[in-house]
Amino acid sequence: MTETTVILALVVVTALGFDFTNGFHDTANAMATSIATGALRPKVAVALSGILNLIGAFLSVEVALTVSNAVVRIQNSDGTPKDSLTSDGGTALLLIVLAGLVGGIVWNLLTWLLGLPSSSSHALFGGLIGATIAGLGWAGVNWNGDGSKLDGVIGKVILPALMSPVIAGVVAAVGTWVIYKVTIGVAQRFTDNGFRWGQIGSASLVSLAHGTNDAQKTMGVITLALIATGDWTDTKNIPFWVKAACALAIALGTYLGGWRIIRTLGKGLVEIAPPQGMAAESASAAVILASSHLGFALSTTHVATGSILGSGVGKPGAQVRWRVAGRMVAAWLITLPSAAVVGAIMWYIGNLLGGGLAGAVVVFVLLLAAAGYMYWHSRKTPVDHNNVNDEWDEQPSPRVPAGTAS
Amino acid sequence: MHNLGFALEGAWKVLAASLILGAGLPALFALGIRSLAWGAGGDAEVHETGVTGPRPRPIGNVVGWILFAVVVLGVLLGITFIVASGFGKALSFEHIFPTIVDK
Repeated sequence: MTETTVILALVVVTALGFDFTNGFHDTANAMATSIATGALRPKVAVALSGILNLIGAFLSVEVALTVSNAVVRIQNSDGTPKDSLTSDGGTALLLIVLAGLVGGIVWNLLTWLLGLPSSSSHALFGGLIGATIAGLGWAGVNWNGDGSKLDGVIGKVILPALMSPVIAGVVAAVGTWVIYKVTIGVAQRFTDNGFRWGQIGSASLVSLAHGTNDAQKTMGVITLALIATGDWTDTKNIPFWVKAACALAIALGTYLGGWRIIRTLGKGLVEIAPPQGMAAESASAAVILASSHLGFALSTTHVATGSILGSGVGKPGAQVRWRVAGRMVAAWLITLPSAAVVGAIMWYIGNLLGGGLAGAVVVFVLLLAAAGYMYWHSRKTPVDHNNVNDEWDEQPSPRVPAGTAS
Repeated sequence: MHNLGFALEGAWKVLAASLILGAGLPALFALGIRSLAWGAGGDAEVHETGVTGPRPRPIGNVVGWILFAVVVLGVLLGITFIVASGFGKALSFEHIFPTIVDK
């Protein structure tokens, strides 16, 4: 077992770890509304979402190897890593990928601790961008594309992030408004029971789409690492074990459920009634599917949040907690730069220790320490399937973040 | 800022498609529920107090379930789309009727 193999193993484990955080960070996108309205019991909702994510991940056989190409220049256009990064057996590339993944995971865990639904894709891209800037300089990042298509950090990450929540919000608001107009005068037992099924159906669609979209990214990153070390050469396919491992990781993460984020999205923004829940999830599903059809990359988190806000705007007399929304938007704005800073710091630490095995191990240990600390911190104010639907406390005490108020 | 142009171009298409699917289908679903309630008669719809509600109207049930079927078809189309793009295929709306084609 060579040194490179050990580093590769660390990268694979870290990538699966990221996939896992991606899963529980995003359970809320699909299931927060169904849990909040009581359409599904919390445990049933996360189990359903987990299974659909698993199925979705297996359905995504499309090669996602070039996923990082939109933002960083560490690969050639056919998906193989740049020669300059593999000349030393691939460790240069592995270190960038490892540092980037750590940046993504740390930010995902921190926002989970605060109960903020931030974008996992932004965290991953941010981490990779930061590690690339540290490793290759500013020119290593594909900021603006080459002008021929929507590309680069601006085109693939920032612009969609600005537009997608607005689009989803408009669609959900229109949907909610129409639904309430149409069902005026119908007895509530009729509407609630009917929309309960509509909600479950639309939320399932969001879960499935999430599995196909998000698991792919990790599959691409792992395969890239395998190619860098020469353990895999086929750029048209992904090893089956990679696909299976990623699918399982995201499904397990989803099943675990990011209860803090589910609580914020389901109870914090808007008091959701079944018709709103269905309008919000339908809008999310439609926007996610329509944009991937048109090659418009976006974050499921931004879409889901926009939809839920929209469902609050569209219901006459509903209350929207704009303060909570403001906190979320602030988290979105700093997600990419923050993950980038962590990614860059991790790369410097790894590089300082020689950029080889020692550096990779230290970076990995730092990740474990940070993750352990945040998990321990979360136990002080646990949020789980028992208290996820408790009344939202409008004035959280200053020290405890809103997402964890009991 | 060529990217802004591309993004705006994509954005209005996404908005149009999502309004049809994401707000249109739920609206049909709501109509279906309204239709079922109308069909059920009695207390399913709000009516003057002190009077018994209208008699059941079977046609309402039929219309309601037809509307639900349309919604389910729309959802199936969505699932087909996810699966097809996973296998390197795409849905084409060239002939109005959706067909699965190679990407």
